[in-house]
Amino acid sequence: MPSDGLADRRLHPASILLGIDLRQTIQALIFPLVAGFAAGGRVILVILAVFGVVALIGRTLAWQRFSFGFDGEVLRVEEGVLSRSHRALDVARIQQVEIDRGAVARLFGLAALRVETAGSSSEVEVELRVIPLADAEALRDELRRSKAAAGDAASEGEGEHALSPPPAESVLRVPLRHVVLASVTGARLLVFPAIVGVAFQFVGDAFSDWAAERAEDLVEGLLLGRGALDGFGWRLALLGVAATLVASVATAVVVGVLRDAGFRIERVGDDLSVTRGLLSTRSSVVPLRRVQKVEVHRNWLRRLLGFAAVRIHSAGGSGDADRRVTVPLLPERAIDDLLAEVLPGVAGIPALTAHPPAALRRTMFRWLRQAVLIGASAIIAWRYAPFGVPDVVPWLAGALLPLFAVLAVVEYRQLGHGLTARVVAARTGALSVVTSLAPVVKVQAASTRANPLQRRLGLIIVVAHVAGPGGDVVIADTGTERGHWLLDRLTEHAAEPVAPEVRPQVLVMGGPPATADEG
Amino acid sequence: MQVWRVFGALWQVPLLAGASVTAVLLLGRAGWVVVALSVALLVTLLVWYPGARFRRWRWWLSDLALLLERGVLVRQRSAVPYFRIQQIDVVQGPIDRLLGLATLQVTTASATGTVGLPGIANADAPSVRAELLWRAAQAVAAHPGELSDAV
Repeated sequence: MPSDGLADRRLHPASILLGIDLRQTIQALIFPLVAGFAAGGRVILVILAVFGVVALIGRTLAWQRFSFGFDGEVLRVEEGVLSRSHRALDVARIQQVEIDRGAVARLFGLAALRVETAGSSSEVEVELRVIPLADAEALRDELRRSKAAAGDAASEGEGEHALSPPPAESVLRVPLRHVVLASVTGARLLVFPAIVGVAFQFVGDAFSDWAAERAEDLVEGLLLGRGALDGFGWRLALLGVAATLVASVATAVVVGVLRDAGFRIERVGDDLSVTRGLLSTRSSVVPLRRVQKVEVHRNWLRRLLGFAAVRIHSAGGSGDADRRVTVPLLPERAIDDLLAEVLPGVAGIPALTAHPPAALRRTMFRWLRQAVLIGASAIIAWRYAPFGVPDVVPWLAGALLPLFAVLAVVEYRQLGHGLTARVVAARTGALSVVTSLAPVVKVQAASTRANPLQRRLGLIIVVAHVAGPGGDVVIADTGTERGHWLLDRLTEHAAEPVAPEVRPQVLVMGGPPATADEG
Repeated sequence: MQVWRVFGALWQVPLLAGASVTAVLLLGRAGWVVVALSVALLVTLLVWYPGARFRRWRWWLSDLALLLERGVLVRQRSAVPYFRIQQIDVVQGPIDRLLGLATLQVTTASATGTVGLPGIANADAPSVRAELLWRAAQAVAAHPGELSDAV
């Protein structure tokens, strides 16, 4: 690849078909289709055919008018059939480059390239869909090289190493069994029930009501505790539950493996390169300097097993769950090493300061309020609802109180925050504990707030505002004095940023020790 | 303050009136309690709240940052370092224009880190903005190289 970049070129012709956004198309078509079929047969086919032809012509024209080029500094994209748009994207502004390969694209050696900048719009800045894989990789490397060169020029470093592509150094590999474990212990377990729920809706709506009625009978019988279930019925119900469980686990594993198999993070120059996926692979490049926030997620199941998931947010425009970089699962002892790699100059999760005992009263208040609200609505439903609500419901609602009280204590125990010269961290959550870390260089603004109850308890919320769709770092309910102190420190850090040295690639992990601040 | 009073009135009056009417219709005699409460609430919201809000609202410029303190019930403090300022807008609603006031909206790269400085006299708004922009430029100039990129 010549270093003067790429001349203007077009997407691969296959993009006429592959460039179609399937999800959008389906969303746009599902309603007219269903309505059409309900209305009657032949006409809808004709309409569909006409629509298809028009769409094909449109796609071809769009392909013809789409061109892109990169001259070493600016990525230019021209597109549009009726209203033309020219975009120029400065290489220094790029937040994230991603290569995405669907199953079909892989079959034909094609790939989609996405480039994101720090805009706040939810759309991807530039999407080249699809181009030959070799071109995509070349363009990605070219962008990366130019970006590194631009960065070096700005920091007055010698740009020599930028010329040869730096070697990739493995940072993290998630073995397949961890991917499987992540699927089984995460929210993905709900994928199958959700699908079944939706399918059920459709089946119930469109076709026979028989199955739905049967199921309703069954559920009603269960709820009302009526004698609707004889021995056979019970066995059937148990079988159903077991089957659902097995299917949920299986779906979760399949979805998880498809999505995250072969998950690995590599360090290439000053970028992190993340690759994952079995059938459709995705590889993203996140410049280390663009990492805005890192979250360590540990739900109770994973906490028991000693694992955590780590989410890395850059300031890329789209906060789409699909495009976030999430390490599905890694052992807790590996967290600090990963953090040291992702957040330059941070040796790991800093020592966290516990919050004042008054914070317990507030978590208690919030959880009990929740319990009382749920309980009250349950009792109202039990008392006044036109359909029969079984007598256990109020008791269940009552049992929520002690349960939620325990959760409140757990949440208080987990509350914590830390501020070092490099990073601000906050930990919250009862069942699912999230530790958010943001490098202090990336803190854009800081604020505190306290409602009357908090003021009476001497508590305050501190927010470190961070760019990007990842959200802010919120330190909930620390002492008022401590809160104002944190606000001042954060403001100083944000106003006088001292960028940490990005660790030279060859050295072993280390960096300056993070100094712990005393409260 | 005037603006807040008028603005508040605009949505509070219909809301509370609506609540009162439904209360009377639904509850009969007891509904009048709701009406009385609404009127009391309206008076507080119209007479006391804007004043209290105005008294608590302050902003000033420190060496490093634009600082704000505000809030009657929920007290808030914010700090926006000049270095992080991305954009400053002058916003004027119709009532603002009537009273010759303007709001400065100071935007950072964070979606939630945006603050507004309301009730600045029309004539002062450009100079306040210029001052803030100047400080922002100074702050950026003080950080050479790649550091000057706030995101």
